[in-house]
Parts: sequence; C-alpha cells; structure tokens
Amino acid sequence: MDLINPTVVDLSRFQFALTALYHFMFVPLTLGLTFMLAAMETVYVVTGRKIYKEMAQFWGKLFGINFAIGVATGITMEFEFGTNWSMYSRFFGDMFGTPLAIEGLMAFFMESTFVGLMFFGWDRLSKQAHLAVTYLVALGSNLSALWILIANASMNVPEGAHFDPDTMRMQFDSFVHVVFNPDAQSKFVHTSVAGYVSAALFVMGISAFYILRGQHKQFAARSFRMAALFGIISTVAVITLGDVLGRMDYEKQPTKIAAIEGLWHTSKPPYEPWILAALPDDAKQENHFEIGVPFVLTPLITHDFNTPITGLHELEDAAGPRIQSGIEAVSALRRYGETHQQADLDVFQAHEADMGFGFLATRHAPGQDVTTLSAEALPQVIEATKPDILPNVFVTFWAFRLMVFLALYFFALFAISSYVSLKNRLERNRLLLRLCLWSIPLPILATEFGWITAEAGRQPWTVFNRLPTFLSASTHSVSYMLFSLAGFAVLYSIFIAAELYLMFKFARLGPEAHDTPQTAPDHLHLGGAASTPAAAH
Amino acid sequence: MSLLRMAGLAIVLVISLLFAVFVGDQGPWYFSWVIGTVMIILISGAGAILLDAQMDSSSEKEV
Repeated sequence: MDLINPTVVDLSRFQFALTALYHFMFVPLTLGLTFMLAAMETVYVVTGRKIYKEMAQFWGKLFGINFAIGVATGITMEFEFGTNWSMYSRFFGDMFGTPLAIEGLMAFFMESTFVGLMFFGWDRLSKQAHLAVTYLVALGSNLSALWILIANASMNVPEGAHFDPDTMRMQFDSFVHVVFNPDAQSKFVHTSVAGYVSAALFVMGISAFYILRGQHKQFAARSFRMAALFGIISTVAVITLGDVLGRMDYEKQPTKIAAIEGLWHTSKPPYEPWILAALPDDAKQENHFEIGVPFVLTPLITHDFNTPITGLHELEDAAGPRIQSGIEAVSALRRYGETHQQADLDVFQAHEADMGFGFLATRHAPGQDVTTLSAEALPQVIEATKPDILPNVFVTFWAFRLMVFLALYFFALFAISSYVSLKNRLERNRLLLRLCLWSIPLPILATEFGWITAEAGRQPWTVFNRLPTFLSASTHSVSYMLFSLAGFAVLYSIFIAAELYLMFKFARLGPEAHDTPQTAPDHLHLGGAASTPAAAH
Repeated sequence: MSLLRMAGLAIVLVISLLFAVFVGDQGPWYFSWVIGTVMIILISGAGAILLDAQMDSSSEKEV
C-alpha cells in the first residue's frame, strides 16, 4: 500500500483548518443575531413601538453583511471534502453526504428564501407575517448548523452505521440514530448557544460605542439591555452545555478528554487537581509545571468523587491489544477481498471494532503493509503505533483552557452589564462600556478555540477509531496544495477585510443612517444626544 | 373568528405536546435548545419592555 505523502496530508489538514476557522468567524454571529433580531421584532409586534422595528432593521443590516460572507466562505468547504479528502469521502461519504446535502437544502432554500423576505418584506408583509419570517430565518440558520454538526458528530462518534466489507465503506443503518446521536445533540446546543453569546456581545459592544459617544442613546440603551440579558442566560447555558459535551467526550473519546486535562497518568480521586495552567510536553509525555485546584477534576469530569479518569499513558498501553486485533482485521479484510470466503469474513467481523487501529499501524509496517507482517516484526509495529493514538496534548490543553477562561470572563461581563443596565447606570460606567466594545471579537475567538479543542483532540482520526487522518486525504502534489492554500488564504483574507470594512462603516453610521423603507414620523426618529425617552414611542 | 383562533391554538398545543413527548425522549438536548431559546428571547424582550416602563415612569434621562 502506498501511503499518501505526509506533507500533502499536513497541507490538506492545514487548508481545512484555515478555511474552517475563517468560515467560523462568521457563523456564530449568524446563529445568534437571527434570534436577537427575532427578539427585537417580537417586542415591536407586542408593544407597537417603532424603535424596536428600527433596531431589528439596523442590526438586520449588519447581520446581512455577515450572512453573505459567511455563506460564501462555507461553500468552498463542502467542495474540499471531495477535492482534498477523497479517501475519506470514499470511506465515509454515505454517512457524511446525507446530512451535508440536507444542510445545503436548509441553507440555500429555506434560509436564503426567507432572508430575502426578511430584508425586502417590511413593506409587503403584515407585522405578524414578517415576524414569522424572521423566526424562520433564525430557525433555518440554526438548522443548517444542526446538519453540519450531525455530520461532524457522526465522525466523532460513528453511530447508526456499519462498515461493509464488500463495498469497503461505512453505510447507514439508521438515519434516526445519526440525527439523535448524543454527540450531535450536545455539539449542536453548545455551538448554537455559543453563537448567541457572540451575537449578544456584538450588539452590546456596538451599543456601548454609541453610549460612549452620546449617540442614539435610546436605541443603544434598549439594544444593550436586550443583548446583556440575552448574553447572560446564553453564557450560563453555553457553560452548562459545554459540561454535557465534556461528559460525552469522557464516555466516547477518552484520549480527547485526557489531552484536554493534560492528564498523562490515571487520576487519583478525589484529590486530583484540575490543572489551571501547565506546559505539556508531547515529546517527553509529561507536564513541565502545573498549577491546579485540588478536588475539582474528578467531579468536573465524572460527576462523582470516586471514579478515576484514565490517563494518556494508560490509554496508550491499552491500545496495544487493539492494534494487534486491528492488524488481524485488516489482514482478514484483504483476504476476504481476494477470496470472498466466509471464514475470512468471520475473522474480520470478530476484529472489526479494531479495524481502524490496524489501518493506523500501516505507517510503521515494512512496505506500509500490515497484512504481511512477520511474527518478529509485529511487536515492534505495535509499539511504534501506540503513541500515534494520542492527540497533540499541548494544543488541545491550551485551546480548551483559553475557551473556558473566555467563557468565565463573558459570564462576569454579561452579569455586570445586565445589573448596570437594569439600574439604568450605563453612562456612569464608561470603563464597562469600553470593555464591552473591545470584547466584541472575543466570543468569536472562544468558538475558534472550541473547534480547535474538538478537532485537534479527535486526532489521529477523521472517523474516530475507524479511519486515520493520514489515510483520508487525496493524492495531490505538494505544489497543488500550496497553490490552493495560498489562493484560499488570499481570497478569505479579502472576505475578512470586506466584512470588517462594511461592519465598521455601517456600525459607525449608526441607526440614523439606516435606510428605512417605511420612514417613521419625525418625532419617532432616534438618536443623537438630544434623544429623549419619549422618542421611543 | 375566536373559535377558529381557539382551534388554531389547540392544534399548536397538541403539536407542542407531541413534540415535547417525542423529542424530549429521543433528543433531550434538542428539546432543551428549543425551550432555552424561547426563554432567552422572552427574557431579553421582557428586559426591553421593562426599560420602556422605567423610562416612562422616570423623569431621568440617563440610560
């Protein structure tokens, strides 16, 4: 078996990481802003106060800029599965393709149709009908994310599928199992609500900017209040739902959870500290220093005080028998492919659960072929393969911590902001307003760290315990990968620059410059330092 | 008209209950997302309406 050039695999990974992280700069705002718009418009329909319509229209314009660029950056990723990850698509396409296709339908048909109605329907639809459209946009954008996350979860916890030795690919057993995969559920709620946090801080930060400048005060105060309350509940939810996701990783991906916690050896409950900061050394397989809080790790991960958490060394040792069993599975599969004898199929099925570990060993086998291993070479190949089951601990550990520290900061910021807003004392707390303004990019950063934790922690697999990453890429040349990578980097940087330019431009102009199709009477106009509470009516 | 509205609301109620029973059992976290999102929207909206009430009843112009 000829392995794919490792440089091509690394470049394919880097390109996907780059495009995914670029794309995910836009996604959280879309997920959250749509529901914030729905909340503002709901208040407009309930109270009849036009200021809330102006709010929905102004923030809707910023949402529109973000939405357009978000969709554009997402499309390329769908093609990347075919161009750069063809071996993966061949192996897992049946499982991955279906949710991806439904996501396409959601994004392009439902979401895009209703986005058009939302923007251009203010004068053409009744208030209630327009509100329904806004809710459908919110639902559509979040359901789009749902299908992508279902696809992602099926790679992390491949349930509802089996490997077919005749077609050499994973095939559907149960669509319901795929949709209701517990990993998909916990991933979706955590990711979606993280988007709410991003949108809340975006609205709060820009509103703080207006209050600092003494502009659009009534508009900004209402936007700030709604965003602060939206944000505080969302932050509590995102932390809680993160714990749910952590439980899922503990049960299904023990290597990821051990890497997240920098846990090289099995924990000693109940004392085992939760490491706040450390310097994990992947080469030496140890932490150079640790600052931890005792008695926290065990209940945090296991929700009790007695259960030990398996460490990376022990997980590595436990992988030995699975690698040996996997080699037998791959060998039986090869024989079955040639002979189609039931006896070979029986051997394969007995070891099928470990097949991925056999694939993982190919890198270390002479001639990259585990099916012809001699009895003398087998132990060496197993020993050489064992460290491969571990993800990069340094990256996983720190990406997780940065996400968690940011989430705790958001909790404090939203809590204080909600309190100050409820007391109508925003203008006196200029430091808080500045903090809100400068914190706008942080939730996006936190979601990026979340994805790095999830995906770096999943390595060395594309399909967990089934298909290693180094066997998943396409057989491109290095120059092809470098050229396409440079193209993506340039194109996406232009997208980011365009987004930032438009966002800054329209945010600076503020709601007064918003081109309202149905202009409110003069006394309803918002803004300026001269605006009064009465102007909100 | 009010009978039609009642019937419409009753249908929504039945669908909601069926949704709660089925999704609550099969997909508890999906169900929590629906309930949680509705709650977040309502509390956020209530905060805005409270601000209106505060502004209406106060002569202060500070926000």
